[in-house]
Amino acid sequence: MNNPKERKILEGIISGDEVVIKAFYKKNYNYIRGYILQNSGEEEDAEDVFQDALVVMYQKLKSDTLDINVSIRTYFYAICKNIWRSRLRKKRKLIFDSELILVNEESEQYIIEDIEKKEREQVYRKYFLRLSDACKEVLSLVFAGNNMKEIARITGYAEGYARKKKFECKKSLLDNIEKDPMYQELKIISEKES
Amino acid sequence: MERTQELFEKIEGYLTQTLSKEEVLAFEKEMAEDSELKRELEKQRELHKVLSDKDTLDFKEKLQKISAEIKKEQSRSNTYFSYWKIAASIIIILGVGTLLWNNLNKTNNFSDLYASYYKPYPVEDVTRGDTTNEWEEIVKNYSEGNYDSVISKLEKTNSFITSERIRLYLGNSYLNTGKEREALLQFEMISDASRYRETANWYRALTHLKLGETNKSLEILKEIINYNGIYKEKAMQLKAELSEL
Repeated sequence: MNNPKERKILEGIISGDEVVIKAFYKKNYNYIRGYILQNSGEEEDAEDVFQDALVVMYQKLKSDTLDINVSIRTYFYAICKNIWRSRLRKKRKLIFDSELILVNEESEQYIIEDIEKKEREQVYRKYFLRLSDACKEVLSLVFAGNNMKEIARITGYAEGYARKKKFECKKSLLDNIEKDPMYQELKIISEKES
Repeated sequence: MERTQELFEKIEGYLTQTLSKEEVLAFEKEMAEDSELKRELEKQRELHKVLSDKDTLDFKEKLQKISAEIKKEQSRSNTYFSYWKIAASIIIILGVGTLLWNNLNKTNNFSDLYASYYKPYPVEDVTRGDTTNEWEEIVKNYSEGNYDSVISKLEKTNSFITSERIRLYLGNSYLNTGKEREALLQFEMISDASRYRETANWYRALTHLKLGETNKSLEILKEIINYNGIYKEKAMQLKAELSEL
């Protein structure tokens, strides 16, 4: 990856540069959207896949395991397509027709195995971000390792109330996650594997 | 398993290692007998692990924000205006031509691919017996890229559309003014037996590509390759590039 333009994009993504990310988003979203709508997906699927693929790329960049010898676009599109095919397979709608779903196997083979592992994480994050602001605040503090005394102090809640709030938020989060059909599928698959 | 506050606090205590030694032993014993409890613990362990990665969460949240911004911008911008912007940029891209393409990175976007393969159907230097001034004007406008005037002329006077070559001109004019569906119609009206059929197919394939309808485009490209004519090589190249996307 010696191309300075591509370097800049990767650096922008890892540092969370909104201008760079927005430009990347605008430039590539329509292609992915077209691909997913053409392959039995909905508008909402397209947005999820696009963002989740960017998250996968971000995590790879951060952990320094991104080693690509193709253009960012080629690599990114391959992630998107693999995520979508994995989800479609779970929806049991996938028609295995290499002509229908345009693929470039070569650039994809080293991405596929990661996708499945990441899928469940994406579900967790999706529903966490849909919680109320109050829930997000309390749970963020919990996940950051604060004890209840500290959480009560930071939020200004009484400790008893903070405990109750934490429980309710977490319960509703877990309930929502489990209602997601995609999560159900993942669970079944991973139970079969184990 | 019913989710209670008590259960959650026990699980969290176990995960954060704040239970006493006795409590840990008791809890582990309980789990050994209750697979549902064990599963709940693993679920929460994973939940904690995933959601404690604040950077990734923030990144995902940022993406949602950016997406919302883009949607807002798009609904604000006048569609008519952007339609002309697109038409104008295609014409500019065509004008700047191949020189620029060599310098650009290989891009795998349909419209880029379209632009790199598309060339307006050339005007043939044939003198026609029934040449009229008006006809000459149409051809001249076409060759100079005044596609709007070609369209308005031909749409007004249907009698001009007497040959299949004219359909190619008209189709190409539509294609250059953002009227892809109309263009397709013209190309499709050229009959199978015509000597312009292969050319028409080539432009059909490009039109579908421009519309992002790659499956159709590929179908037609295969037909062209099988036909084994002058567009075979181009069709094979385009098919290969398209399959790489």
